[in-house]
Amino acid sequence: MADSKIAPPVVEAPRRSALHGLLSLIVPGLGQFVAGARTRGLTLLVTVLTLFGLSMWTIAQRARFPEYAVVTGDYLRIVLACAALLVFLLALRHLLTRFVLKDPLAETFSLYGVVLLFFVLVMFVGDDILATVLSAESLSHIHGMTGLYSGAALAALWLWQVGDAARIGGEHLTGKRTPSMGGAIVIACLLVFALGYNLTGVNLPKAIREYQDVGILLPRILWPWRAAFAYDQEVFEVVQKIQAPCPDGATGPGSNPVLANDPWVSATPTCGDLSVRPTTGGLILGTELTITAGNFVPGQEVLIRWANPIGNPFTPRGMGETTLIIDENGGFTTTLNIPDAVVSPETASGDQIHSLIVRQESVRVFGNRLSNEMNLALIGLLETIMIGLMATFFGIVAAFPLSFLAAKNLMSPIMGTPERILGNVLGVLAGGWLGIQVTDFASASLGGLEAAPVQVFLIGMLAVLGLGIAGLQLGGRLSEAALTRLGKDGGYWVSSGVLALLAAYPGYILGLGFSRGIRSIVLGAEVAAINEEWYGALGAVLVAVLVFWYLYGKRHTRRVPVGLMLYGVVRTIFNVVRSVEALIYAIIAAIWVGLGPFAGTLALTLHTIASLAKLYSEAIESIDPGPLEALDAVGANRLQTIVYAVVPQILPPVISFTVYRWDINVRMSTLLGFVGGGGIGFILLQWIRLYQYEAVGIAVWLIAITVAALDYVSSEIRERFV
Amino acid sequence: MLTVEHLTMVYPDGTVALKDVSFEVKEGEFLGVIGLSGSGKSTLLRCINRLLEPTEGRILWNDKDITHLPQGELRTVRREIGMVFQQFNLVKRSSVLTNVLSGRLGYTPPSWALANRFSRQDRELAFQALQRVGIPDKAHNRADELSGGQQQRVGIARALMQDPKMILADEPVASLDPVLAHSILGYLEKLNTEDNITVLCSLHYLDLVQRYCERVIGLRNGRIVFEGSKEDIAKMSDERFREIYGEDAIRMGGA
Ligand SMILES: Nc1ncnc2c1ncn2[C@@H]1O[C@H](COP(=O)(O)OP(=O)(O)OP(=O)(O)O)[C@@H](O)[C@H]1O
Ligand SMILES: [Mg+2]
Repeated sequence: MADSKIAPPVVEAPRRSALHGLLSLIVPGLGQFVAGARTRGLTLLVTVLTLFGLSMWTIAQRARFPEYAVVTGDYLRIVLACAALLVFLLALRHLLTRFVLKDPLAETFSLYGVVLLFFVLVMFVGDDILATVLSAESLSHIHGMTGLYSGAALAALWLWQVGDAARIGGEHLTGKRTPSMGGAIVIACLLVFALGYNLTGVNLPKAIREYQDVGILLPRILWPWRAAFAYDQEVFEVVQKIQAPCPDGATGPGSNPVLANDPWVSATPTCGDLSVRPTTGGLILGTELTITAGNFVPGQEVLIRWANPIGNPFTPRGMGETTLIIDENGGFTTTLNIPDAVVSPETASGDQIHSLIVRQESVRVFGNRLSNEMNLALIGLLETIMIGLMATFFGIVAAFPLSFLAAKNLMSPIMGTPERILGNVLGVLAGGWLGIQVTDFASASLGGLEAAPVQVFLIGMLAVLGLGIAGLQLGGRLSEAALTRLGKDGGYWVSSGVLALLAAYPGYILGLGFSRGIRSIVLGAEVAAINEEWYGALGAVLVAVLVFWYLYGKRHTRRVPVGLMLYGVVRTIFNVVRSVEALIYAIIAAIWVGLGPFAGTLALTLHTIASLAKLYSEAIESIDPGPLEALDAVGANRLQTIVYAVVPQILPPVISFTVYRWDINVRMSTLLGFVGGGGIGFILLQWIRLYQYEAVGIAVWLIAITVAALDYVSSEIRERFV
Repeated sequence: MLTVEHLTMVYPDGTVALKDVSFEVKEGEFLGVIGLSGSGKSTLLRCINRLLEPTEGRILWNDKDITHLPQGELRTVRREIGMVFQQFNLVKRSSVLTNVLSGRLGYTPPSWALANRFSRQDRELAFQALQRVGIPDKAHNRADELSGGQQQRVGIARALMQDPKMILADEPVASLDPVLAHSILGYLEKLNTEDNITVLCSLHYLDLVQRYCERVIGLRNGRIVFEGSKEDIAKMSDERFREIYGEDAIRMGGA
C-alpha cells in the first residue's frame, strides 16, 4: 500500500536575499540590476520613475497647484502611508501562515489575496489615511483620491519590486530562471487606470445624480417626428360683449345669437357687477355669467379671456375655468364670474363694455407638409451622401493609378541605370513643363479657367500626365543613346555626376527646411534666418555627395532599384496623408475654399486617395504572381501585364474596398459639417447650439437610417464580389 | 538555335542556383531537363527568356546575344519563346479566351490594352489554338472552372498564340496525374513534330523523359552532371543515376 502511493515532491520555499531587497527598496530595480537581471532592473527603475512623475504631474495639474515641492511631499507621504498599510498586511499574513496555519510555503493565503485586500482597504479607509497624513491645506487643494489610488498602486509596485529583487537575488545564487513580471504589470496598469480615471474626469456620482437633465431631452431626440411636419393652424375668436358695472335699469349689450355654421359664444346675463378685491383682503365675486358656445373644433382646447373696455385682454383667475376642452358636439357650457377688471377712469362717462373672448387655436392632428427643419435636414443629408460619393469617386480615379506605384511586387523589379534615370528625370520635368504650357494655351483659347473649368482641368491633367510620361520614356531612351557614346564608364560617371547635381536642389530645400524648422525653434526665427543659405548649401552638398556615393557603390552591377525607391516615397506620402484625420483637412479646406460642401469634399477626397491607394496597393501585393510571370514570358509590356494579369485579379478586393470606403466616407461626411465642411453636420451643430433638440433628433435619426442602410447595401455588394 | 554559355545565377540572398551551365539546343529538338527538386531546373528555364537576370554567362538566341538586351528588344525575343508552367499561371478570374488571347500580347500594340482590344484575326487564332488542344467549347468559361488538365491545355494554347519557335515547359505535368501527364506531353510532342517547335521541358519522372525526350541534360546543385540521349538513360548505371538524383534516390518506372 505504502509503495503504490506517490510521495508528494518536496518543494522548498524559494530563497530570498535581503541585501538585494534592501537595494531595491532604496533605488527601484537596483537589486535586480546587481543580481544580473539588468534589463529587468532598468525597466523597473524607468517604470517606477515614470509612473511617479506622471502621478505627480497629474495631481499638480488637477490641483492647479504647480508647487511641485509641496505636491511631492504630500504625494510621498501618501505613498509611504499606503506602503505602511501594505507592509502591515504582509506581516500579518506572514504571522498567520507561519504560526497559525503552519504553512511555510504560504500556499493557503496567496500574495494576491493580500494585495486585493490592500486595495479594498484603501478604497474604504482612504479618507482616513488622507486626513491623517495630509495637512488641512493640502487636503483642500490636492485631488486626494487620485493621489490616494495612484499612491497605493505605486506603493504596491515599490514593494513588489523589493520582493522581486529579494527573490531574484536569492535565485541568482542558486541559478534558477527569473520569475514573471505579471504582478508588476498588473499593478502598473492599475496605476495608469487611476490616473486615466482622473484625467478623463470620470465622475460617476454626477452621472447618476444629473441623469434627469438628459432625461428631459432624450424623448425629444429619440422621437422627434412631431417636428418633422408643419401643422396647419386655424384660429377662431368670438366675443360676447358684457356691460359692467351694471347701472340700474341697464340691460347690457344682449346675448349673442346661436350661429348655424360659425363658432359662436353667448352669455347670460350680459350686464353685471365686477368682482372686487378690497384693500383689506379677500375677494367679493362679481356676477356669475353662464357661457355657452358652439361650432368649435371638438376635442381641442379653447381659452376664455377677458378684455376691459380699454381693450387689454387677460386671463381671469379664480373666476371659473378658463381652459376648456370642446365636447364632441363642438361646444361647451360653463360659468364665470365677472372678474375684477380695471375700468376706465371714473371721469369717463357712459357704459363700460367689456369683452368676453373665446379663442381656439385649432391644430390638425396630422401635418400635411414637411417642416422647415425636416426639409433642411433632408437637404443636408443629400448633401452629405453626395460629399461621400464625390470624395469616393475622385478618390478612386486618383488612387487606382497611384496604387500601382505603391505596390512592392510590381515596383521592385523595375531597375534603372543612371544613364536612363537621368533622361527619365529630365524628360519628365520637360514633359510636365510642356504639359503646363499646353494647358495655359488651351485655357486661354477656351476663354480662361473660369469660363471652362472642367475642360481646362481635364486637358491639363491629360497634357501633364501624357507629356510627362512621354518625356519620361523618350528622355530615358535619348539619354541612354547619347551617353553610351561616351563609352561604358564615361556614360555612367557623367550621368551619375549630373544626377548628383540635380539632387543638390532638393538637398538645398532640405537644408533650408532644417534651418527654418529646427534651428529657428532652438535659436529663434531671426537668428536662424541670418545664415540659412549656409544650411541650404550644406544640405545641397550633403545630398549630392550621398547620391554620388550611392551610385558609385552600384558601379559594378549598374542596376539601381528605382522602382523600390519610388515605391518607398509614394508609400511614405500615403501613410503620412492617411494618418491625419479628414476632419483636420476639412478645417484647412474650409479656410481655403470657404465653408460648405466643397471644403468637405476636398478634405475627404484627400484622405480617400491616400487610404484607397494603400488598400489597393495591398490588394495588388497579394495577387498570384504566376500570371505576371506568364505575361512577361509572352512578351507583354508593363501596361499590358497590368491590364491583363493584375486588374482581373484585384477587381474583387478593389470593389469591396471601394464600397467600404464609400460607406466610411458618408459616415465621415456627417461629421465634416461640424468643422464647416457642409452636409447635415453643419445644420446639426447649429441646432445643438440652439437647443433645438427635436431638430437634432431628426438629424440624428436621418443619419442613423442612412448609415444603417448604407451598411447593409455595402455589405451586400461586398458579399457579391468577393 | 539556343546556346547557353557558362551561365551562373546567384539569387540576391546568395543562393547559387546555377553554376557554369553550358549546353546547346538544336532546332526541332525535344530536350529534357532532369534533376532533383531544388537542382535549378526552373531557374535555368527562367534565365533563358530572362524572367530572371543571370549573374554571369551568355545566352545566344539564333546566334544573337540576348543576355543584356534592353526591354524593348527583349519583347521581340520573348514572343518567339512560349512558356508553359507547372502551376499553369492562368488568370483565374478571366475567361479561357482572354487567357489564350493574352499569348498574343507580344504582337499587339500596348495601347490597345487600355481598350481591351484584340484584332479579329487574333480571336480567330485563339479559337484555332483551343481547337488544337481539344477544348474549343470552353472558350467562354472562367479559367478556374476548368480541371487541371484542361487548364494546362489553355496554357499550351496561350503559348501557341505566340507562334513560338521554342517552348519552355517547366514541369508542365508535375501537378497532374499520370494519364493527364501523357495527354499534355502528347500535345507538346505533336507541336514538336508537326509544327517543328523546339521543346525544352523539365521533368521529374524518368519514364516520361524516356518516352518523350530525344536528348536529356541532368542538373544537380546547379551544375550539369549528365548529358545524353534517351538510350543513354535506359542503360545508365545506378551509380550514374545517383550522381544526378542523389545518394538515396530509387529508380522509378521505366520505358
Ligand atoms: N527567389 C529565390 N530566392 C532565393 N533562392 C531561390 C529562389 N528561387 C529558388 N531559389 C533556390 O534556388 C535553387 C534552385 O531552385 P529551382 O526552383 O530552380 O529548382 P527546381 O529544380 O526547379 O526545383 P523543383 O523541382 O522543386 O521545382 C534552390 O536551392 C532554391 O531554394
Ligand atoms: Mg521548379
